[in-house]
Amino acid sequence: MAAPATALVVLCLVLPVSATIAATFLAGGGPFDLYAAFLASGFRRTVLWRTLEISLITTALSLVIGFFTAYAISRTPPRWRWILIILAVFPLLTGVVVRSFAWLIILGRNGILNDFLVWIGVKGAPFTMVFTQGSVIAAMVYLFVPLMILTIVGVLENIPDDMIEAAQSLGATPAQTFRQVIFPLAVPGLIVGAVLVFTGSFNSYATPQLLGGDQQMMMGTFLYQRAMVAFDWDGATTVSAIMVAVTLAVVIGMTGIAKRLNPMTT
Amino acid sequence: MTRRLHPALIAFAILVYFFLMGPLVIVIGAALSDTGYLTFPPQGLTLHWFERIFEMSAFRRTMVTSFQVAAISTGCALLIGIPAAYALNRYRVQLPGWLSTLFVLPVLIPEIVLGFSLLRSIQVGAGLPVVSTLIVGHTLLVLPYAVRVISASLASFDFTIEEAAVSLGCPPIKTFFTIVLPNVKAGVFAAIFLAFITSINDVSVALFLTGPGISTLPIQILAHVEQFFDPVIASVSVLLMVLTVIVMAGVERTLGLTFLTK
Amino acid sequence: MTRPLTLRNLTAHYGATKVLDDLSLDVGAGELVTLLGASGCGKTTTLRLVAGFLQPTAGTIHLGEIDLTRLLAHKRNIGLVFQNYALFPHLTVRDNVAFGLKQRGLSGAERGRRAGEMLDRVGLSALSGRLPGALSGGQRQRVALARALVIEPALLMFDEPLSNLDAKLRVEMRVEIRELQRANRTTAIFVTHDQEEAFSISDRVAIMEAGRIRQFDRPETLYSRPANAFVARFVGFENLIHLIVTARDAGRITAEGEGGIVMTLSEDDFGPIPDRFILATRPDGLRVSHGDHGIPARLGLRTYVGRAYNYKTETPAGQLVASGPLGQPRDGGEIVRLVPEPEQCSILVHETAS
Repeated sequence: MAAPATALVVLCLVLPVSATIAATFLAGGGPFDLYAAFLASGFRRTVLWRTLEISLITTALSLVIGFFTAYAISRTPPRWRWILIILAVFPLLTGVVVRSFAWLIILGRNGILNDFLVWIGVKGAPFTMVFTQGSVIAAMVYLFVPLMILTIVGVLENIPDDMIEAAQSLGATPAQTFRQVIFPLAVPGLIVGAVLVFTGSFNSYATPQLLGGDQQMMMGTFLYQRAMVAFDWDGATTVSAIMVAVTLAVVIGMTGIAKRLNPMTT
Repeated sequence: MTRRLHPALIAFAILVYFFLMGPLVIVIGAALSDTGYLTFPPQGLTLHWFERIFEMSAFRRTMVTSFQVAAISTGCALLIGIPAAYALNRYRVQLPGWLSTLFVLPVLIPEIVLGFSLLRSIQVGAGLPVVSTLIVGHTLLVLPYAVRVISASLASFDFTIEEAAVSLGCPPIKTFFTIVLPNVKAGVFAAIFLAFITSINDVSVALFLTGPGISTLPIQILAHVEQFFDPVIASVSVLLMVLTVIVMAGVERTLGLTFLTK
Repeated sequence: MTRPLTLRNLTAHYGATKVLDDLSLDVGAGELVTLLGASGCGKTTTLRLVAGFLQPTAGTIHLGEIDLTRLLAHKRNIGLVFQNYALFPHLTVRDNVAFGLKQRGLSGAERGRRAGEMLDRVGLSALSGRLPGALSGGQRQRVALARALVIEPALLMFDEPLSNLDAKLRVEMRVEIRELQRANRTTAIFVTHDQEEAFSISDRVAIMEAGRIRQFDRPETLYSRPANAFVARFVGFENLIHLIVTARDAGRITAEGEGGIVMTLSEDDFGPIPDRFILATRPDGLRVSHGDHGIPARLGLRTYVGRAYNYKTETPAGQLVASGPLGQPRDGGEIVRLVPEPEQCSILVHETAS
C-alpha cells in the first residue's frame, strides 16, 4: 500500500538528487576537481562562509527569542495561550515571499524606517539598509521565530505539571526549578528547533534574494545564479551537493545528540 | 497550569508579538494606501491596488496556475499518502524501518536542490512538460505533510475496530472506506488544507520549474518586486494572508491548530 | 445450526517465533470452551487464527463440515467480542448493531427490526440513537455483545471481554453472556487469564502454556485433579513434593523424597501411584499433626484464611504450606508433622520438563 508513495519518492527525489550529486564527481578531470575549484575561488568560499555565518546567527537569535516567548506562552492561561499560538501560526503559514517582502517595505531606501529616521531628523538618513547582512538576518529571524516558538511550546507542554510541583515540594525555588528541571527537559526540543532553523536558513532562497541581492549572495541564491543565469551546471551541481551534505550532516548529527540528551526516552 | 510570570518576561513576549505582527500589519496598510509607492501608514484608503492585480494578466495567469498545481498536487499527495500512512501505522512491526524515513526525505533534502534536480533529471533529462514537473515537485513537497498529519490521526485509531468490521462480514477494502476513513476524516481535511497552502507558498521548487509563459504566483511576485516597488505586491500579499486565514480556520475546525505544536 | 469447532495440529509463527505448537482442540456443538492462560501462552493467537486474522503455518480449522482454514476472515460468520469492545465510534448504537446485517444485504426495515429486538434483549433500546462515546463501559460491552449476536453467528468468540469492567459488573456480565450463549445454543470460545471467570462460565476449560494445551477438562476436574505440575500450580496446588517409590507391599507404598523424607501412602486412598511421582496438594490437603508419621516440619508464619489457619513451614523437602484447625492456633517454631489428606491430593506423573 505504501508502494506508490515509495515509488514516487525513489524515482522523483532519491534518483534525481543522487544524479545531481553523482554528477559532481563525474565532471572534470578527477572526482574531486569541482570541489577543489569551488574551494579555490575566494568568492565561492565567501558565499559558503557567509551562508554559515548568517544561518548560525539566525539560529542563535531565534533560539533565545523563541525559548523565552515559548516559556511565557506555556505559562499563560489556556484561553490566552490559544490566541498566542494562533498568532504564531499565522506568520508560519503565510508564505516566505510575503514575509520577506514585508521587510523590504520596512528597510527599503524609501522604506518606513528610513522615513521615520528622516522625520525625526537623524543625521545622514536615509541609510542603505537593504542588501546588507543585517537586513537578511532580521528577515530570517522574523521568518523562523514562529517555527521555533511552536516547536518549543510543544516540548514545554509535554513536561508534566507534577514534575514541576515535585521539584517545588522538594524545596526548589522557581529559579532553581527553571534551571534544573524545565530547561534540561527542554534541551532536546531546543536542538530540534535549532536544526529546523539552521537548515531552513542555510537553504533559503527568497529572503536572501529580496533582502540580500547580489551583494549578500547565499548558497541558495548562488545555486540559482549558477544554474539559471550563468548556465554553469557544474557549479550548480557542486553547490547542490554541498547544501545536501551540510543539511544531512547537521540533521543526523544533531538528532543523534538530541536523542542522547533526552531524559524522557530512557 | 498558570504561574506568575516575571514582568520582564511578559514585556519581552509582548515585544516579540509586536515583532511578529508588525510587518504583516504594515503590508496590509501599504496595500490600502492610495499612493503610487509603498508606504505606511497609508496616506488615503483605496482598494484600487486589489483591482490592479486582476487587470494584470501575469498575476491572473500565475494565480490560476498556482491554484491548479496546488489542487492537483494535494490530490496526488493524498491519493498516495493516505495508503502510505495507513500502511505505516497498521503494519508498523512488519515494515522495514527505513520506509518511514523515506517519507520525511522531501523535508530533509533542501527544496531548492530538489527543484534543481527535477529540472536536470525530469524536465531536461526525461523531457516532461513544465506543468507536469511542477506537479511532481509539489506532490513530493507536500507528501510528508499528508503522511504525517494523517498518521497522527491514525495513531489514535484502534485497528481492532477494523477487525470487528471484518468479523461482521465486511470485506477489507470496504472496511477501509466505511470504517477507517470516516474516523480519520479530521486528519485528511487538515492534510488537505496544509498541503494546499504549502504548495501555494512554495518558491524554492517552483523556481527552476517555471518556463516561458508558465509561472507560479510567488515566482511572479519575486519577478515583479525586482522591477516595480508599487502597492500591487502588498495587495497580493494581503490576498495570500486571507488564504492563510481560511487554511487556519480549516485546520482549527478539523485537527485543531494546537496540533501544529506537536 | 449449531456446529462443533475442530482445531487440528495448528502451528503458528510470528516471524521466526513459534507461538502455537501443534495444537488440537474439539469444541462440541453449543459448548462454551475457555482458553485460559497467562499472557503470551497462545490463547489470543488461537482465537485470531479461528477468526481469520492470522494464518496458521500448519494445521486445519473446521466448523462442522466447513473448512475455515483458508477462508477469508469476512466470510467466516463468527461473532467476535473484543477486550476494548471495538465499537465503531462514528456510528450510533443502532447502526453498530445493524452493521453486520447490512453486510449480509438485509433490507433497511429488516435490519431495524432485528437490531431493535437485539437491543431489547440486552436492555439498551433507550440508548439506540447514541454514539458509543456517550456510553459507560458496561453499556459498551452490551452493544458489543448485541452486535456479535445479531448476525446469528455459527461461532461466538470472546477475547477477554470483561477485563475492562469493575469487579461487580464483571460478575453480572459473565452471567449475562452465559445466559445468552445458552439460549442460542451457539458454540463459543472464551479467552481469559482469570481462573475464576473461566471456571464459572465454561463447560470445559483448556489451560494453555507456551503455545500448547496442558489440560482440557471440565472445571471441576481441573480444580481437583490437575493432570500435571503446571496445571496443579496454576489452580493453586502450592505444595509439589517430588517422591520416588522405594518399597511396595500390597497397595501400601513407601516413598522417599528430597531431604531424606519418607512417606507411606495407600493406593486404596490415593489411587495407582507410579514409581516416580509428585504429591500435589493445596494448603488444606496438608494437615498439621502431632502424630509420629508424616513430614517433619517447623511452623513459621500463621495466616487466617476463613475456615482454617495456614502455616508456612520449613521441612527437609523445602518450604511447604499446611493448614490447621481454627480451634488450636499454633505458634511459630513448633515442631510438627504434616500429613496429606488423600481427597485433597493429586498424584502426578514426574515430568522431566518441569
